[in-house]
Amino acid sequence: MYLPDFEYHMPASIQEACALLAKSGPAAQVLAGGTDLLNKMKHGLVAPQILISLKQLEQLSGIEYVAGKGVVIGARVTHNAICNAKLLQDKYLSVCEAAHHMANNQIRNVGTIGGNIANAVPSADLPPILIALGASITLAGANGEREMALEDFFTGPGKTKIAPDEIITQIIIPDGSFTGSTYIKFGLRRSGALAVVGVAVAVEMDGNVCKKARIALGAVAPVPMRATQAEAAITGQTVSDDLLEAVGVCAAKECKPISDMRGSAEYRRDMVRVFTKRALRKAIDEGHV
Amino acid sequence: MAEKYAVIGKSVPKIDGRVKVTGQAKYTGDLKFPNMLVGKILTSPYAHAKILNIDTAEAEKLPGVKAIITHKDVPTLKYGISPARWDESIFCSDKVRFVGDKVAAVAALDEETVYKALKLIKVDYEVLPAVFDPEEAIKEGAPQIHDEYPRNINTEIHQNFGDVEKAFKEAYHVRTDRFEGNRTYQCPIEPHSAISIWEGNKLTVYSSTQSPHYFQYYIAREFGLPMGDVRVIKTFVGGGFGGKLEPTGLEFAGAALSKLTGRPVKMFYDRHEMFAHNRGRHKQIMEITTGVDKNGKLLGVYANFMMDGGAYTSLGIATAYYAGAMLPLTYEFDNFKFDMIRAYTNLPACGAQRGHGAPQPRYAFECHLDNVATDLGMDPIQLRLVNARQPNTVTPNDFAVNSCELTECIEKAKEVSGWAEKKGQMGKGRGIGIGVGSFVSGAGYPIYRTNLPHASAIIKVHEDGTAATLYTMATDIGQGSDTVLCQMAAEAMGFKYENMKIVSADTETTPHDFGAYASRQTLMSGSAVKQAGEEVKKQLLEMAAQMMEVAPGDLDCRDSIVFSLSDPEKTKPFGEVAREFFVRQGPLVGKGSYAPPKLGGTFKGAAVGTSPAYSFAAQISEVEIDEETGEIDVKEVWDIHDCGQVINPSLLHAQVHGALFMGMGESIWEQVLFDDQGRILNPNLGEYRLPTAMDMPKITSELVESYEPAGPWGVKEVGEGATIPTMGCYANAIYDAMGIRVNSLPLSYEKVWRALKEKRESEAK
Repeated sequence: MYLPDFEYHMPASIQEACALLAKSGPAAQVLAGGTDLLNKMKHGLVAPQILISLKQLEQLSGIEYVAGKGVVIGARVTHNAICNAKLLQDKYLSVCEAAHHMANNQIRNVGTIGGNIANAVPSADLPPILIALGASITLAGANGEREMALEDFFTGPGKTKIAPDEIITQIIIPDGSFTGSTYIKFGLRRSGALAVVGVAVAVEMDGNVCKKARIALGAVAPVPMRATQAEAAITGQTVSDDLLEAVGVCAAKECKPISDMRGSAEYRRDMVRVFTKRALRKAIDEGHV
Repeated sequence: MAEKYAVIGKSVPKIDGRVKVTGQAKYTGDLKFPNMLVGKILTSPYAHAKILNIDTAEAEKLPGVKAIITHKDVPTLKYGISPARWDESIFCSDKVRFVGDKVAAVAALDEETVYKALKLIKVDYEVLPAVFDPEEAIKEGAPQIHDEYPRNINTEIHQNFGDVEKAFKEAYHVRTDRFEGNRTYQCPIEPHSAISIWEGNKLTVYSSTQSPHYFQYYIAREFGLPMGDVRVIKTFVGGGFGGKLEPTGLEFAGAALSKLTGRPVKMFYDRHEMFAHNRGRHKQIMEITTGVDKNGKLLGVYANFMMDGGAYTSLGIATAYYAGAMLPLTYEFDNFKFDMIRAYTNLPACGAQRGHGAPQPRYAFECHLDNVATDLGMDPIQLRLVNARQPNTVTPNDFAVNSCELTECIEKAKEVSGWAEKKGQMGKGRGIGIGVGSFVSGAGYPIYRTNLPHASAIIKVHEDGTAATLYTMATDIGQGSDTVLCQMAAEAMGFKYENMKIVSADTETTPHDFGAYASRQTLMSGSAVKQAGEEVKKQLLEMAAQMMEVAPGDLDCRDSIVFSLSDPEKTKPFGEVAREFFVRQGPLVGKGSYAPPKLGGTFKGAAVGTSPAYSFAAQISEVEIDEETGEIDVKEVWDIHDCGQVINPSLLHAQVHGALFMGMGESIWEQVLFDDQGRILNPNLGEYRLPTAMDMPKITSELVESYEPAGPWGVKEVGEGATIPTMGCYANAIYDAMGIRVNSLPLSYEKVWRALKEKRESEAK
């Protein structure tokens, strides 16, 4: 295995990066952490002639709270930086936990949130929790910026609405009224395993009544998906174990899993039931965990 | 009173620990030689296909390519590790038999050029129907994989001891169960590699090997060279577990490329190619029938097995025999029948993996025994105690057992695990299970027929007496034999371990030893080392007697100090005596060799499983099952071993930990998966799931008092024995927790989930 030859650019500004992308067309790929791209190149699965590295774009590596906007995470922030960010630990520990259960420590040191999203792998761990929290992303292109709800971004495995001249610059978790959120990853060992099923939930509780809920599922459809029927089944209801079981059954019905070497569709569907129920219970009882 | 031994029985630091943790240790892949080329093997993309044409013209034009070879450029002599079935060629000439079969090889200036050249070699294939299932492979009309083996039967075994039919007739209860194993792979962390240097008439091969001797023997045979002109040198090795015992193909292709180019050639497998080369665990299909009396005494056992061998024999004949031969070792019964077919399939060849053929049958038998215990309303431990092998007994297949503390192992495991309070009383989702096992301490016979001793050693004391070097071809692949053998040498000489040096596993500088397999080195290599050390000591004491003017019989030596037995105040330093010996008589050298006594019976296959000594173990595990997901959480494991006397306790317990790690992976996660074209789906460490540190349970590893008369200082093996009971012990714990029996490996979460679901559905009816 070897890395094929390629042209390497390290633009100093976002504008320059986008202009380079616009000029290079499909021959170019954006290099963020490289944990996926370089591996694919070594295996001969992709062969971009041009790599545009975001390494110099320091403005993409911060995590901050912007009043009126929410928590803004730069696209180049690594998974371990997410795990260790005090701001996130205080407000959305659920996001830190999701990042912490991803892959292994070596990958978490290098892989980035922007790369995790742009890669659009159905089993990715960050999109479900970000979607549950209503996150949006900012895309910068040669002709300016646009914002998009993260849940609208994905179109299929490895496919998104990103334009050829665009890069993801930031991820915004908006201020909201959620009282709790969590992501449960079900993998086949404790470290270094892809999710067989990933379930993220965010809930707004008023006493024992669920005023609002967002449920996002990973690894059980071509894209990270909202379980809207399950959300409807819990919204406005008084929470009980029976209710959560019923909500889990709803989510299991609406997911669209396939069978592969990690698990059958039948197994995945039932795991959606189990983990939707468990995730809701956790977020309701324990807050953002 | 001083301790009985000065060096052995102590957890001295590993002799190579420092160089390994600092990164100074060089593995074969780290080595560089002037003008060295890099080589790789082109393999087949099809599971079964005729080779119509190989066109290397384009690849040869690529700048940097120095040589490309196919079957036309190399010896066509078939090879293998088992002389009974030499069925592999350096490169396929007529057809390929699995995805990954070897077709050609390239040597070039660098790795990138090699990969590019491989893509430019055009091979025309005519794809043939393939077969991937052993039960399908032996049917009439199945695709024929080797012309010489009708119905794809590679090995067929029919053994019958006593009268099983009669035993079943007289039994109080007879039960049959069927189990399936899984294809697993050893996954050594260090990939296979070999550097071949052919200069004049001499071939030198640096290799990541478990046995320099077998490599030397087969390389010399293949190229028609005297063994003396083939030098095989083991470098540091990052794990073997059975997969690096036989030549890998890299040595042959590399030697041919080196001869052709006149330059050193480094060959290696990447992770995917390691999985394709394989030689991992066979998948066995195991039907077991047992008859017992009212008290649970085993009267007879019938084992009817089949195994998927893959495309070539590898060590599979021995694997097939081991599968049955080890069953009557652990428990005592007189009537035993064993039928086995090892079938060829169009998948990577299977070989010997830690525990060889024994772990899967042991899993099957331990589960089966728990079922029998349930039928009889007996505690599973009681059933095992009734049948446990006793010391100084002989198995129905003629294995003589000397030391055996299995009963003590089981009783101690029961006690330390809290079995009596836990069994059947742990509440929903929690359970405890037992598995036991036994294994050889070295094979009674070498892999090919020869009357060479199994092990030998030379110890040279340096001229000034400050150090001594042990020379042996015993092979340290990470398990620590270099350390343990230096401890033994120091003990035998009365020398300090800290002043020992070792040169090992080099066919030119070290005396013969068969290498690291069948858990043989502590007992066999250790015997030779002990003899060499004692020979040094005898000569040293004779010299000291002259110098100290006492009778040699009044002297002994310990910790590098010679002292008088009658007057312990009277001493001389070892070094001073050794130096004087050198001045007066020349080099102070001791030598030793070891050959086991003639072992075993005379029936066909009687040699497999013979050993001078056998280890025994009992394992108990505690699990928690998530009844909604089937997730298995192994909470704690207890391993109680009878491995004779111990040379290095910390290395011994590390072996138990490693074996439990491997056994746990094979039990719950590991399985090599293929698509319907015979291509491996998970040839990487992401999807072939070995346990991680985070998955490991709490482990208690303890010993029972035992002394093996056939071993030096009473030693036996531990390295493979601890893998054997593990799978059955987990399966039995799951059964205790949930009342379900998963009859195939791995015991995956989904299988447990499905079994629980089926149980609920049948209870609802």
